[in-house]
Amino acid sequence: MEGDGSDPEPPDAGEDSKSENGENAPIYCICRKPDINCFMIGCDNCNEWFHGDCIRITEKMAKAIREWYCRECREKDPKLEIRYRHKKSRERDGNERDGSEPRDEGGGRKRPVPDPDLQRRAGSGTGVGAMLARGSASPHKSSPQPLVATPSQHHQQQQQIKRSARMCGECEACRRTEDCGHCDFCRDMKKFGGPNKIRQKCRLRQCQLRARESYKYFPSSLSPVTPSESLPRPRRPLPSQQQPQPSQKLGRLREDEGAVASSAVKEPPEATATPEPLSDEDLPLDPDLYQDFCAGAFDDHGLPWMSDTEESPFLDPALRKRAVKVKHVKRREKKSEKKKEERYKRHRQKQKHKDKWKHPERADAKDPASLPQCLGPGCVRPAQPSSKYCSDDCGMKLAANRIYEILPQRIQQWQQSPCIAEEHGKKLLERIRREQQSARTRLQEMERRFHELEAIILRAKQQAVREDEESNEGDSDDTDLQIFCVSCGHPINPRVALRHMERCYAKYESQTSFGSMYPTRIEGATRLFCDVYNPQSKTYCKRLQVLCPEHSRDPKVPADEVCGCPLVRDVFELTGDFCRLPKRQCNRHYCWEKLRRAEVDLERVRVWYKLDELFEQERNVRTAMTNRAGLLALMLHQTIQHDPLTTDLRSSADR
Amino acid sequence: MATKESGDARAQLALSSSASQSKEVPENPNYALRCTLVGHTEAVSSVKFSPNGEWLASSSADRLIIIWGAYDGKYEKTLYGHNLEISDVAWSSDSSRLVSASDDKTLKLWDVRSGKCLKTLKGHSNYVFCCNFNPPSNLIISGSFDETVKIWEVKTGKCLKTLSAHSDPVSAVHFNCSGSLIVSGSYDGLCRIWDAASGQCLKTLVDDDNPPVSFVRFSPNGKYILTATLDNTLKLWDYSRGRCLKTYTGHKNEKYCIFANFSVTGGKWIVSGSEDNLVYIWNLQTKEIVQKLQGHTDVVISAACHPTENLIASAALENDKTIKLWISNH
Repeated sequence: MEGDGSDPEPPDAGEDSKSENGENAPIYCICRKPDINCFMIGCDNCNEWFHGDCIRITEKMAKAIREWYCRECREKDPKLEIRYRHKKSRERDGNERDGSEPRDEGGGRKRPVPDPDLQRRAGSGTGVGAMLARGSASPHKSSPQPLVATPSQHHQQQQQIKRSARMCGECEACRRTEDCGHCDFCRDMKKFGGPNKIRQKCRLRQCQLRARESYKYFPSSLSPVTPSESLPRPRRPLPSQQQPQPSQKLGRLREDEGAVASSAVKEPPEATATPEPLSDEDLPLDPDLYQDFCAGAFDDHGLPWMSDTEESPFLDPALRKRAVKVKHVKRREKKSEKKKEERYKRHRQKQKHKDKWKHPERADAKDPASLPQCLGPGCVRPAQPSSKYCSDDCGMKLAANRIYEILPQRIQQWQQSPCIAEEHGKKLLERIRREQQSARTRLQEMERRFHELEAIILRAKQQAVREDEESNEGDSDDTDLQIFCVSCGHPINPRVALRHMERCYAKYESQTSFGSMYPTRIEGATRLFCDVYNPQSKTYCKRLQVLCPEHSRDPKVPADEVCGCPLVRDVFELTGDFCRLPKRQCNRHYCWEKLRRAEVDLERVRVWYKLDELFEQERNVRTAMTNRAGLLALMLHQTIQHDPLTTDLRSSADR
Repeated sequence: MATKESGDARAQLALSSSASQSKEVPENPNYALRCTLVGHTEAVSSVKFSPNGEWLASSSADRLIIIWGAYDGKYEKTLYGHNLEISDVAWSSDSSRLVSASDDKTLKLWDVRSGKCLKTLKGHSNYVFCCNFNPPSNLIISGSFDETVKIWEVKTGKCLKTLSAHSDPVSAVHFNCSGSLIVSGSYDGLCRIWDAASGQCLKTLVDDDNPPVSFVRFSPNGKYILTATLDNTLKLWDYSRGRCLKTYTGHKNEKYCIFANFSVTGGKWIVSGSEDNLVYIWNLQTKEIVQKLQGHTDVVISAACHPTENLIASAALENDKTIKLWISNH
């Protein structure tokens, strides 16, 4: 035991307790002096106080001591040993002792003057017996506590709850000693098997006053919350956690913090007032939470009488305005803490309810008498443990009844006013139909052109070959110039330039693939896409079939094949004549069939794409129209028209 | 069947007894209750009209977003997917997408027509509180309880920028009409304006006192900012000069982050919900309360104005759970 001060009168028969001093000042230690202005340590057996200097024990050493006996006592009784504290347990012991002993409102550890009001020592029995009693009270992990607490020692214990920038040391969270193990911060800790990336204190141990906001809030997907933390209500009320912050910054509101802390301490006992039999499955780690849950285990949070929203406005503005209106706030805080309690209870019940549903296999130890009644029509049997009904039949009957009762009037309600979305849908469908029509006509047009082209090409093939002078020499003056191939960059003879570039392009282009996963399945289309399957990429080639350099090689041109390209005058007017040059020689109309075919095919493809788009749109609109006003939609939602005459809310200009 | 709510009649009476104004501007917007939309099973947190005026999206604590027809109030569809309560929802400019901000620390991007969730934006470390699209709708901005504002790209779903905007939860974020500026408001009492491209803070609006800011928004022309603070006040600021031009009071707002809006389809009004279960409408210029819409039985958390019609949609918390559509007979 250690302490700075000491009791004025040692009650027990210590070795030197009788003060024969003239001044009546008590004397201590082996030096028999009344000096108490230095560090002193007390023997747990004889309760005599000794100066640290005299027995050569420093304050620091004493911190590590749990039980200390003076030399004389040790010599007399060999069983007495000096016990030291485990590093971690020192703090914990400090915390626990605070909880169990009445708080001392006095000053800090520096005060040498002992507090004459302290009666603890008087209350204790003999040294050993009381010590053992104390020992049993504390958790078995730590060794029994020293018997007597002096004010200074108590202060020291108090200080073992840290007061740091982020801990006030006085709120529920600061006083917690164990990590919950379930919150996200705990699960990140090494001791709970986490990667230690977040490295924050347990959520339940984040100081209510001083911790960062974002560390305080308890994710509701995890285990239950202590009364001191809050979840924001739907749509953002100012959570009560906010309010302590401004006050803390001002620093002049110590009494408010105290009020909060004390009322927070008061709340759990209130909650224990209504115990209920509950199954073991729901037992949380923290006894406080258990009691809270007991208090409201079966509440339906949807019922209006459970709502305390009309009272809650008192809660948060009061606390929030702490910074500004100190006096008003203090009065209200006690009530507001209680309201907070109730709200958190409900929230926790919701989570508990969710948890319950997630673990239906847990055995339920409720007796039938306490189970609610089945909600089936005319049924008096108790409901199944995790259900509202005694059996499936009851549930089905109730559902059927509901539908019979409610559905007709909902349908009537729906039909009472015209559905504007339906009207829009119908208009859209009309428009889509029209567009589809036009697309189809265009398609037919394309098909016609396609056939025309084929006919032309066929006819052209049947022409006879004729060598013509004129067309041959048209390009001769270009032979001096060098043309560079676009694809490979080599210089080439202009006369063969076209063919070379064509082949060059095909060579490069055939190295890349261009395809999709699905083969083309369009009825009525003769030739559009290449659709050659590529096993490596598992795609079908989606180039135009006539143009695909990868999969269709230009057939070798026989020597006597005629070019056959229809000749034009002024670009657009057909003369009716055909080019008679052999295909091999004709440079002007190189690959003309391929190009023309490709042109037509491209147009057709475009029209098909447009049709596809329109089909998609139509499908969407139809789905929306069919899914509207379904059974579930009608049963779950309702639109009450207050003015049956004018149900369309658009102004007349738009209609 | 009553054609007008009795509350509205009372409001009209109140208006006629107060000082009348002799301007061409209609004195009384004369909104009347037209529809009540029932369907949410928990408190509704936000309602927004689509930019094309056809739909009304509502988000709620029951983790659902419900789309209603704006003109007839009929139920259209429900979007499922969030794990926790949803705090806010916002439309893209082409009315085809929605973004929702939820307590499960994510935002979800939805395709309205198919009802599917296109992307889930993860990155916030605490509840996401508010969200908005920028006018070109290629960016999403979100404010969260983790005191940051994040800018996300719609196409990829990645977070482009994180602005360490405030020292307290961010309660509202909004783009201006051109998409170049961002305004953010927070419980720390500050209202900050940021450059959207660089993420630099351009200005901080402070007044004498700094009560928590519960809502901010740019005016439709982008010149003014409307802020709501938790001391029952709405203020209109000229942010380039940093001066408060107008103050609107009379309602109750001390706890919740209640939406406020500019109504520009008829007369120029400021519309806001209130904690005394009424919807308040002020004349923007004269700052007088021109109408109080009665009908809800709980705090009116959100009030939205239709882009083209004189329609107001209001939503209330868990004691009420309904959305009410009010129409003005201009």
